[in-house]
Amino acid sequence: MRATDTLIAQNNEKRAGLTKDNMKMYEDLLLYVRTDLRVDEQAGEEVLMDILDHLLDAQENGRTAEHVLGNHPQEFADELIEQLPSEKKRNVTLFVLSQLAGLLGWFAVTYGVLQLIIGFFTEQPMEISLGSIAMILLTSVVCTIVGVVTLFKIMRSSLFKTKKKARIQYWKAGLLGAALFSAILVVVLYIPQFGPVVSLPWWTFVTTALVLFVIATLLGKRAK
Amino acid sequence: MATRSQLLKGVLDACVMAVVEAEPVYGYELSQKLQKMGLPDISDGTIYPVLLRLQKNGFIRGEMRPSQSGPNRKYYFLTDTGKEELEQIADEWQLIAVPVSELLKRSEG
Repeated sequence: MRATDTLIAQNNEKRAGLTKDNMKMYEDLLLYVRTDLRVDEQAGEEVLMDILDHLLDAQENGRTAEHVLGNHPQEFADELIEQLPSEKKRNVTLFVLSQLAGLLGWFAVTYGVLQLIIGFFTEQPMEISLGSIAMILLTSVVCTIVGVVTLFKIMRSSLFKTKKKARIQYWKAGLLGAALFSAILVVVLYIPQFGPVVSLPWWTFVTTALVLFVIATLLGKRAK
Repeated sequence: MATRSQLLKGVLDACVMAVVEAEPVYGYELSQKLQKMGLPDISDGTIYPVLLRLQKNGFIRGEMRPSQSGPNRKYYFLTDTGKEELEQIADEWQLIAVPVSELLKRSEG
């Protein structure tokens, strides 16, 4: 297990010892630091663990998270992030590439299985137009990236807020997800067939998917 | 906190280094010690950005060790560079502390 994973597991365990109010404040801080992708993950987890230990000690002595984190927790969190070392560019790039390979892998596996099932009902081999498929892939990738980035932003803006304000952010996130998913669906359903047409057996997709999954895993490991 | 001046930042950095120099401590101990010294406003959470900054500059380093109460804690140690830095700050502080206090007292009255 990576050192960072051990820290995260320990954090999950220890966090259960916080009172309800302290937990809310600490988890906001935790999410705020973790969703900032510029932060070096290991260093971030280390300081989060330090602060959790601190909160637990303070709690035992009858002091609250407000005493520890102050009245402006977001400013405190920003100051913390400012002092944390940055994640290496190489790691971020590898992580993004790994996610992309995984996404394309799922795409290929879905296509392959679909074709296999359709093959039971019709003799006609399934044809795909390379131009259209490229457009669909591009839309999916762009929507996913936009979705993830915006989701993180919405999530971060819901932290350190009252419950009511946070709920508005959940709605925003839900609507965004629905909108992006509809965008992908519209492209898939209505895009005209263009580009060279090929007909490939179902197992080529599944094999491609497997290769992509292996690449995704390898890149993901290299990123840490 | 965000508006805390550069001056206070520097002073706080030096105070933290001085505590760590006397004895390696973990975060909670450090804030307790600063409070006992009569610095209640710069206690608790405020020390963490300071600790990170000092580590980044190589003035202190952290090490996981079992604490007196049992579980592992990150203890902070002063490095050699930190010692030099602290000495320099302490010297400069000695030079200005008395006249500055005197001056600021007069401007108040």
